[in-house]
Amino acid sequence: MKKIVASILCFTLCAGMIAGCDDKKDTTKATEGTQPTQTESQADTESQADTESQADTESQADTESEGESTAKTDTTAVLSMGTGDIAINVYAMSNEVPGMIEEFFKRNPDMASKYKVTALVSNNDGNGYETKLNAALSAGGDIAPDLYVAEADYILPYTQGDLSSFAAPYSSFIDGVDGKITEADIAKYTVELGTNTSGELVALCYQCTGGAMIYSAKIAKEVFGGDDPATVEAAIGAGSGSWDKFIEAAGKLKEKGYATVSALGDLWNVCEKAAQTPWVVDGALKIDPQREKYLDLCKTFIDNDYTNDAAAWNESWYADMQGVGKDPQTNETRKCFCFFGPAWLINYVMGGQSTTEETGFGDWRVCQPPVGFWWGGSWLCVNKAAVENADKKAFLSKFVEWVTLDCTKDGLQYAWANGLMNENGTKDTVASGTVMKMSDGSMAFLGGQNPFDAFVKATAFASAKCKSLYDASLNGTWQNCGSAYGHGDKDKDTVIAEFKDAAAEIGLEV
Amino acid sequence: MASNQVALHSKTKSDIAFKTTIYIVCTILAILSLFPFVVMLVNATRSTAQIQAHAVSLIPGSSLSKNIKILSTKKTFQPLVGMKNSLIISASTTILTVYFASLTAYAIFAYDWKLKKAFFGLIMGIMMLPGTVTMIGFYRACYQFHLTDNKLMLILPAIAAPMTVFFMKQYLEGALSMDIVESARIDGAGEFRTFNSIVLPIMKPAMATQAIFAFVGSWNNYFMPRILMNKQKNYTMPIMVALLNGDIYKTEFGCIYLGLSMTALPLIIIYLFLSKYIVSGVALGSVKG
Amino acid sequence: MKRRKLVNYSKYGYLFAIPFILAFLIFTLYPICYTILIAFTNQEGVIPPKIKLLKDPLSCFKYLFKKRNSGKISYFLDSLIATAKIWIVNFIPQLGLALLLSAWFTDNRVKVKAQGFYKVVFYLPNIITAATVAILFRTLFGYPIGPVNDILTSLKILKTPYYFLNKPKSTRAIIEFIQCWQWYGSTMITLIAAVIGINPEIFEAAEIDGANRWRKFWNITLPSVRPIMLFTLVTSMIGGLSMFDIPLLFAEGRQDLGAQTVAIYIYNTSFKQPYKYNRSAAASIVLFLIIIALSVALFYVMRDKDAAKLEKMRKAELKRAKALGRGV
Repeated sequence: MKKIVASILCFTLCAGMIAGCDDKKDTTKATEGTQPTQTESQADTESQADTESQADTESQADTESEGESTAKTDTTAVLSMGTGDIAINVYAMSNEVPGMIEEFFKRNPDMASKYKVTALVSNNDGNGYETKLNAALSAGGDIAPDLYVAEADYILPYTQGDLSSFAAPYSSFIDGVDGKITEADIAKYTVELGTNTSGELVALCYQCTGGAMIYSAKIAKEVFGGDDPATVEAAIGAGSGSWDKFIEAAGKLKEKGYATVSALGDLWNVCEKAAQTPWVVDGALKIDPQREKYLDLCKTFIDNDYTNDAAAWNESWYADMQGVGKDPQTNETRKCFCFFGPAWLINYVMGGQSTTEETGFGDWRVCQPPVGFWWGGSWLCVNKAAVENADKKAFLSKFVEWVTLDCTKDGLQYAWANGLMNENGTKDTVASGTVMKMSDGSMAFLGGQNPFDAFVKATAFASAKCKSLYDASLNGTWQNCGSAYGHGDKDKDTVIAEFKDAAAEIGLEV
Repeated sequence: MASNQVALHSKTKSDIAFKTTIYIVCTILAILSLFPFVVMLVNATRSTAQIQAHAVSLIPGSSLSKNIKILSTKKTFQPLVGMKNSLIISASTTILTVYFASLTAYAIFAYDWKLKKAFFGLIMGIMMLPGTVTMIGFYRACYQFHLTDNKLMLILPAIAAPMTVFFMKQYLEGALSMDIVESARIDGAGEFRTFNSIVLPIMKPAMATQAIFAFVGSWNNYFMPRILMNKQKNYTMPIMVALLNGDIYKTEFGCIYLGLSMTALPLIIIYLFLSKYIVSGVALGSVKG
Repeated sequence: MKRRKLVNYSKYGYLFAIPFILAFLIFTLYPICYTILIAFTNQEGVIPPKIKLLKDPLSCFKYLFKKRNSGKISYFLDSLIATAKIWIVNFIPQLGLALLLSAWFTDNRVKVKAQGFYKVVFYLPNIITAATVAILFRTLFGYPIGPVNDILTSLKILKTPYYFLNKPKSTRAIIEFIQCWQWYGSTMITLIAAVIGINPEIFEAAEIDGANRWRKFWNITLPSVRPIMLFTLVTSMIGGLSMFDIPLLFAEGRQDLGAQTVAIYIYNTSFKQPYKYNRSAAASIVLFLIIIALSVALFYVMRDKDAAKLEKMRKAELKRAKALGRGV
């Protein structure tokens, strides 16, 4: 009996493995090939035409087919690009930058034949990416990254913290950086975050991640009597810097049977970046009023059942994007009114969920949020050691400038903003104001609305002031506090005291 | 006499009740043991939508191939890479552990040497030392000598496996008589050859038991590989599994279950084939210890 | 013949023990010494500075036991207590269940059929990778969508889904359950082996005296398996002290959920902010001392039996040698 069961299981496993194997071979081919070409497993997505150059084609494929692929989190093992002899190591937490290198090589074949770029891509779950990057940076030598990418959540250690000594000033490998920044009108907060403590620019971002409120037009029409941004903005108190009107609106939405937000985390993204002071000022903990407000918001939204209480980046969150989420307090399906996020949330996350009319495709609109915020973004850093090598410097100089500072129609940012890197309409807001002015962001996903107006306005709120070196650990802890208080497990004083203890444990004055 | 019979009768009755209780409890426990794995295997064949609607079902769905396809396009989770690494590490670890533990046990058992007692005391002392305690020093040292991401750092420590040495020594005491060794010596065999050709075969049953535990222990180890292995190509199976906790998979329930199944199935299958030896091995190990 | 007798075999003892000793020196002793050293130095930060003794070499140890600002015990002690709680709450039912089952399965009056099947099934969870088990349970206890919530709401036991992973009590209860569920089979098999090892004549004699099941269990079984129980206790305790995979992967090792065990504390302190290798090295040493103490206890528990056995062996050997000598 046992043996029979075992044999059956064995057979199933083998069958699965073989099937899995076949697929795997295809994808491995794609990753290992120096000039990735189309493979069967990828050919079934129409997004292929423009993206065969990208090793991470599956990221695009996913956005279309199942859709959860986020440029933020999708990862690959090791990608290899170019056919040359000069080795360049790249560390990244997503396929975005390796994809740009592919595009770069496609546009500059001479470079492709001269260099061989090896990109290690690893997501940052459990600080995995940071740990690897830090180890590689400090190890130096052959495995040291020449070019590395860091996200907003953990950029500061690389530009102003312990690891800033590795980052080469842009001026050491690009000529006339200051002039180019002015010319491209690069968003100010991205420059601030990329500047080290001695005032040198060591990292730049190609995106601009000012955040907007992304709402459902149908629900807005039913509850607020109009679906245009102006009506909704009035109803939620857009730009007021206060949550009062938003909570009022949430009450109206509740009456009509809608949840206002999906997850408490949605509110957190706003509160975190709306803060005017960082968690840490001169080594001491400081809780900004906007962030303190988050605790109350948690309580209000849970107590009044204004949220579907999903977990961000989780199954339940995606279900809300498709309009099939459940209200945990009644266990009934309940649609959700809005999400907060920058353009990439639409492109890489929501776009993958609301794929049909029933799941909200074309029903989403963008307007100003009640409180201004920004969220995410990836910065490019170059290792000082790499700049000393003339061959490496030549590549890095050209590539990094093309990505971060080139504000012409040939630059990456123009392609990025106008969805030229792929076909499924992922038009992202970019750091260069000059490029934004030249670009048109309208997309069918938003019922033809051009979100760039809202996003450019949102950039005005974006400030680097709210970031500190301790964000990675403190943000998580604070969100846990919010959840515990919101769900009534602990009272406010307790969670704040616990939070202060946690801050002291990581070496802050309280 | 009569009273005795009554007593006997009532005893049988209570025996039946007793037996029924045993079967009920055991069946409940058996269901509890199997249920999570059944849910895992069944859900691996169901689509996300089906799971979303009803997370538990005993009827397999038809989305296995779709789930496999989705899972294999996600390049983070690479069960084959994980399996390969785990196999290399676990197999080498097992061989080293069993061979060198036998050798060390033999050194303690067969020879009289001055420091033997101290040595055996040391083995008893460190028998249970978990990796947690030495981890910081070990990691920092590996880091300084650029030895992170080196599989040997997970394999070589297996040479010193005190628990296995202890077990092997206990086994030798019961199974090996020095007469055999003496007679081999008289035949002129060298000590090392005697060990390999005469002692090892005698130790086979103990080696088999210890090999299974060494293998399973190494295969399931998560702590040390997680700390030492940075590159994805070196990830072992448990680290691969842990990746399923990551954001990418949260949309695909079927895939999570499938990925978990792929990591658990090889073990379940091996276990079903070897269960007799494993179960008796557990018993043996404890009594000997 | 004469020549061979002169050979001094003791050198082979050293020779054969060399690989073990070398591996031990390199992979256990050196790391321990290095860990001890680090605990007194300035090794902290993502890239630690050049190694230097701290001004107050004991400051890391002091910190481990210093109260938090809010007056609560330190995080390290908290993690020790969390570990102990998880271990105790898992071990008591584990041992109880294992004892009960081992008594049932070895009952000489009622022969339980399909014993082999039950043993195999009960032991199954133990063989599966803990990481797999942890993530499987994390998925099973998902909120608001998850199999357990699905069952509970379908059966109308709960009206709305329960957020298991947001509350310390339920989180810890599940971790304890997983531990117990994974290990009771192993403990049971161990105990069955011990019970079978008891001389059946003792049971028979008791039966003739009219002892019932309970008395037999209490007066014969329990005292006889005590050494094995102690062995299980100590190994389980040391295993419990290094608990890592399940609380980490099931509950992210969160302190506020009571899931930060000592091993996770050590890991978090060195590999995440605040990157204090020295502090976690100090914690490792404290853990090391606790484990040494437990190992010594284990040694004493097992010494008697072992020493007696050794003595017996030696005597037998001596006799044999003498006999051999006479023969020659």
